[in-house]
Amino acid sequence: MSLQALQSEIERKAQQEAASILETARVEAEKILAEANAKAANLRDERTKAIRREIDAKEKAELAIARMDRKGDLLQVKSGWTKRVFEEVEKRVTKMAENGGREYDELLANLILEGVTKMNGSKFIVETNPRDKEAISHLLGTITERASKAKNDKITLHLETLPTRTLGGAVVSTEDRLQYFNNTLEARLAAASQKLEGTIRQILFEPGDANE
Amino acid sequence: MSIDIKELQDLIAREKNAEEEVRKAKEQAQAILKQAREKAEAALGAIESDPTWEKVKQAGNDEIARKKAEIQENHNRNSSSLEKVAQQNLEKAIARLFEETLRGKL
Repeated sequence: MSLQALQSEIERKAQQEAASILETARVEAEKILAEANAKAANLRDERTKAIRREIDAKEKAELAIARMDRKGDLLQVKSGWTKRVFEEVEKRVTKMAENGGREYDELLANLILEGVTKMNGSKFIVETNPRDKEAISHLLGTITERASKAKNDKITLHLETLPTRTLGGAVVSTEDRLQYFNNTLEARLAAASQKLEGTIRQILFEPGDANE
Repeated sequence: MSIDIKELQDLIAREKNAEEEVRKAKEQAQAILKQAREKAEAALGAIESDPTWEKVKQAGNDEIARKKAEIQENHNRNSSSLEKVAQQNLEKAIARLFEETLRGKL
C-alpha cells in the first residue's frame, strides 16, 4: 500500500468511526425520547383517570348529601304541615269544648258510654274537668240509662273532678280503679293523630285531592 | 516501501487528526445523548406541573356545583308545589282528624 493510500485509509476509517458513533448516539437519543414520550403518555393517561375517579367520587358523595339534605327539607315541610293540622284540630276541639252546647254534651255522653262499655263491671267513676262535670250532672240520668241498656246491666256512675287539667272529655274507671279508660279530648286527639298520621299526610300532599 | 521522516511525520499528524475527529464525534455523541435525556426528563417532569390537571379539576368542581344547583332548583319547585297542595288540602285534613277525634266507638 502506498503512503498516500495509507493516509487516505486512516482518514476514511476515522470518518467512518465518527459517523458510526454519531449515528449510534442519534439512534439511542431517539430511543430515549420515544420511551420518555411513551412513559409520559402513560402517566398522563393514569393521572387523567385518577383525577376523573377523584372527581366522580366527590360528585357522587356531594350529590348524595345534597339530595339527602333536600329530602330532609321536604320531610320537614311535610312534618310542619302535619303539625299544623294537629294544632288546628286541637284549637277547634278546645273551642268546641269551651263553647259547650248540645253537640258537645252529646259528645261527652258518648265518650263516657264508650269508656263504660269497654270495661267490665257495673259501677264506674267518671272524672271530668269542673266545667264538664257541671254539664254532665244534668245528663247523668240519661247516660246511666243508656249505659245500662248498652251493657244489659244496672249501671251506676259516680261523678268526680279530675285532679289534672284537661281540655274536656272524661276518664272512666272501675269502682276499684284497677281499670280505667282515658277518653279525655287530649287522649283522643293523641290517639287519632297517631292512628291517622299517615292518612293525614296522604290527604295533605295528594295532588288534586282538594276538591274531592 | 521506503518512508522518509517528513512523510512519517505527516502520517503521524494525519493519524492524530483522525483520532481528534473520532474524539470530537464521541463528544458530540455524548452531547446528543445528554440533550435527549434532558428532554426526556423535562417531558416527564412537565406532567406534574401541567396546569391541565387544575383545569380538569376545576371543570369537575364546576359540574358538581351545577348539578347541586339543579338539585336545589328541583327541590324549590317540589317544595313550592308541595306547599300549594298542602294549603289546598289543609281543611280536608283538619276535618278528617277532627271527625276521628270526636268519633265515639260504641
